Amino acid sequence: MKRRYKLWATFAVLAGFHAAILFAGFLAPYSFSAQDRDAPYAPPSRIHFFDSHGTFHARPFVYGMKDDPENYGTYRVDFQQIYPLRFFVTGAPYKIAGLLASRTHCFGTAPGHVFLMGTDGYGRDQFSRLLYGGQISLAAGWIAAAFSILFGAIIGGLAGFYGGWLDDILMRGGELFLALPWLYFLFAVRAALPLQVAQWQVFLLLVVVIGLIGWARPARLIRGIVMSAKERNFVTAARAFGASDAYLLRRHVLPQAYGVMLTQMTLLVPQYILAEVTLTFLGLGVGEPMPSWGSLLASLQQYYVLASYWWMFLPTVLLIPVFLTYYAAADALQERVKSVAL
Amino acid sequence: MGSLLQVRNLTIRYQVDGAEPHHAVNDVSFDLVSGEVVGLMGESGCGKSSTALALLGLFAKQRAEVAGSIVLCGQELLGMKEAELQKIRGSKISLVFQEPGIALSPMMRAGDQVAEVIHAHRQWSWKRCRAEAETILARVGLGSAARVFSAYPHQLSGGQQQRVVLAQALCCEPSLLVADEPTASLDARSQAGFLALLRGIRSEFGISILLISHSPELQASVADRLLVMKNGRIIEEGSFEGLYENPLHEYTRMMLRRPYGVKNESRVEADAVLQGNSFDE
Repeated sequence: MKRRYKLWATFAVLAGFHAAILFAGFLAPYSFSAQDRDAPYAPPSRIHFFDSHGTFHARPFVYGMKDDPENYGTYRVDFQQIYPLRFFVTGAPYKIAGLLASRTHCFGTAPGHVFLMGTDGYGRDQFSRLLYGGQISLAAGWIAAAFSILFGAIIGGLAGFYGGWLDDILMRGGELFLALPWLYFLFAVRAALPLQVAQWQVFLLLVVVIGLIGWARPARLIRGIVMSAKERNFVTAARAFGASDAYLLRRHVLPQAYGVMLTQMTLLVPQYILAEVTLTFLGLGVGEPMPSWGSLLASLQQYYVLASYWWMFLPTVLLIPVFLTYYAAADALQERVKSVAL
Repeated sequence: MGSLLQVRNLTIRYQVDGAEPHHAVNDVSFDLVSGEVVGLMGESGCGKSSTALALLGLFAKQRAEVAGSIVLCGQELLGMKEAELQKIRGSKISLVFQEPGIALSPMMRAGDQVAEVIHAHRQWSWKRCRAEAETILARVGLGSAARVFSAYPHQLSGGQQQRVVLAQALCCEPSLLVADEPTASLDARSQAGFLALLRGIRSEFGISILLISHSPELQASVADRLLVMKNGRIIEEGSFEGLYENPLHEYTRMMLRRPYGVKNESRVEADAVLQGNSFDE
């Protein structure tokens, strides 16, 4: 009972994360490309209920900012400017999932700005960019993981089902891919492509390549399961009723590995999100102004950002709960798969 | 009625890595005429099941060496291409395994498992295959077919599972049914029901049956002719009564009288019980 609870709880939290990312347009107060040239590297806005005189406000508010005259490039709180937070405000137009157009944002301030996680060097709201960036990063993680599992299932299935020399060749090939330094391989792939190819196309291609070269680990697991699954009595029975090899593999053998595939998928998604973050950090991701979790962190390559603006690290901190939930979900799934093991 | 199956000098050797190959079946020859039910008896490990597997060509080459000749309806099965064998398995020769619970996929509905066999052999739409599957299920005594049809195997009783397996075996109207200990895992009541069903099917479908079982009761009530197997060889052959009265080998006597001390009247008695008992479902 407790285990089942864990599985659904992790799934619910994951669904929450994904919904937040999908509805980035609504939850984010600003567009991912909106710049406030007066507020580069602004620190996160603090939300107050009590003003400087100690008076309570039922509606939370943020203070305005002014330049710090003593320290160039930093800000001071301007206690004279009070911007109450408003909910369901009308702001920049956006589309949810490319379909649902709207201008209503979950929250915002009418005059002034609210930067929950500060701004980057162009004065763009990091919180909005984090939400929008998740769309690219999560999509990359899922696409790559799907390709890995698909490839792993085909290769692992064939290796386990036929065994013999085919198994030897495929599994030695798998070891080759496990040993491959994938990051440098991806550089080589990018280098092989012509320069004038659109950057998002290159990115999509790289994501697919990440997924394809990651087939070896799931393939090994699936191979192991297939090897025992093909010995099951009902597989022989199906063969005795005239099933072909392809049919047996597709309908009777591989379905026994679905649980492991799902578990592997849940483990691979965060792994590939991290791969996307790395790629984009190094400049191989989608181009500006479209954010991804990697490009949010890319400014940390500059030492002065690293040393002066602590909020630029916040995206990394927020990745942790997402990854942890994925791993917890994989764990709960694995227990579940074990308990229903046939 | 012509000869349906001719097995000549069938020899099966299991290849074991680094060990002497094991002769599971040694120089076995027998014939089966259309419409006949032949019983194959013998103790565990005597090669009964290996013979069944060989008849369907289910041995992987690297695991066992099968020599001799198996001719079904004038076609030599040994050495036949896998693709050709696939067409024959299930449509001309079918196998019923001893454990219905593990011979059915736990992940597919019972009806679909019958329909997939039809789908494999007939160029029919899936919908038509399912309709046909439902008819077949009704014919093997699963009257409330709609419930059984959409049930997963674990939701069915052992007797019902065995009927689903039988429906799979019969749905493409094969001329030979190989039943490998079909009642071994059933309780006494389901066994009786299944036996009656087997005899009903024999008269209804006009199918030949190779019945593999070490149970003298089962053989006595269904088989026309008995083959007694020991250590991979057929040592004796004849009608149940003949072998029971005058066994040539002590082994045969033991097989037939063991373990319940079957009496000569047992066949009559068993029949009476079976016919009076309309089986479950």
